[in-house]
Amino acid sequence: MEQELLVPELLAPLVRNTIFSGHIHHYLQVESTNLLAKAAALGASEAASEGEVFIAEEQTAGRGRGSHQWYSEREAGIYCSVVLRPQIKAADILWLSLIAAVALQDAMKEVTGLSPDIRWPNDLLINDKKFCGILTEVHTESDRVHHAIVGIGINVNHRALPADLESTATSLHLETGKEWSRLQLTASLLKALDREYRALLRAVNSPVPSSTARFESILKRVEARSSYARGKHVHVDENGGFSGITDGLDTRGFLRVRTEQGLRMAISGSVRPLARRTDAAGD
Amino acid sequence: MNQKELKELIEFLIDKDISEFELERGDVKVRIKRGADQQVAPIIQHIPVSNHPAPAAHPGPVAVSSTPLPAHPPATPAPPAAEEGLHIVKSPIVGTFYESPSPGSPPFVKAGDTIETGQVLCIIEAMKLMNEIESDISGELVKRLVNNSQPVEYGQPLFAIRPR
Repeated sequence: MEQELLVPELLAPLVRNTIFSGHIHHYLQVESTNLLAKAAALGASEAASEGEVFIAEEQTAGRGRGSHQWYSEREAGIYCSVVLRPQIKAADILWLSLIAAVALQDAMKEVTGLSPDIRWPNDLLINDKKFCGILTEVHTESDRVHHAIVGIGINVNHRALPADLESTATSLHLETGKEWSRLQLTASLLKALDREYRALLRAVNSPVPSSTARFESILKRVEARSSYARGKHVHVDENGGFSGITDGLDTRGFLRVRTEQGLRMAISGSVRPLARRTDAAGD
Repeated sequence: MNQKELKELIEFLIDKDISEFELERGDVKVRIKRGADQQVAPIIQHIPVSNHPAPAAHPGPVAVSSTPLPAHPPATPAPPAAEEGLHIVKSPIVGTFYESPSPGSPPFVKAGDTIETGQVLCIIEAMKLMNEIESDISGELVKRLVNNSQPVEYGQPLFAIRPR
């Protein structure tokens, strides 16, 4: 199958009526789409940059969490960053991390029929290997969000991955043997992201006084769609590291982990599965 | 939170040289502010789940004066209190504190630096969301109040800045 480039002329008509339709920028090669989005967000006045999308066919320095890189082979994957300008408190922006995962999962399901798993907070996995990652970068002024950039990398038609990634990462092609339309996947992703973002803003601005009640539907959906939310034996690489059995999300969206020393929360660490131990306490 | 946990919390704050601390968990809100004389004045209030402000007359400050506090001063001096004119930048979210944009790169700021309003001071990460924290004031950075990779709570003081 001849792959189309992800140019605005093809993509924009597919995402009409979303906040992204009029703001798609396409590049053949960039350092990192998140960097382009950040420059646009910092340079723009007020909400001018809301909904801008930066898509590249190839990244030379695709970024992940910490010092991680995102392997970005030319025209094989989707490397896309969007700029959002929600008028919300910094404390509420964390939900963006979870709704992005839900949107990404919906889009992958819609186009491929597969049901990828969500590994808290927002990695997408097929057969326990990661094929989508999200890196969100937020800029806050005092207690308010100035802008948020959601960077998304999806391994689509990669025929092979570098040796150091093979055991933990995969692509849609490697798992299904098929070539997938990046255009359809990108369009479906932007539509799902638009839908989830609007729902988040409604929840944030809802007159319901209890924040637990406002965000309950997000929590429930993440829990229902992720095998990692409950009953999974995991290690969390955070604050010295700890291991235990996952026990749902708390009211802020953090992952509860029952350890032998008591209940702990995964807040910012990487969550990785552990082989289930037969002697695990409370299991 | 019981008296023992409260005592442990206060000892932790003294040990880590944290001058002001706020924690909201469920319907319990704890606010602790340490004055220049190293004394600790904790206030615990039960706030209604509805998020309406608690009436001022609610339980009131809980005295913990019966708990002897460590007599020795912290290893590093506490930052001069607000009345000495320092501006405290606090964390707007719960997360992990990072002093630099990525591991191994130089810190955004260090003590003695001149800070401009809007300058990025640090990153707080939670749920793979990197939150760049801006200074809301211009001045001289006097002290960083937390260590790199340390977990921070909502409202926890991060930097002390002497306004220009």
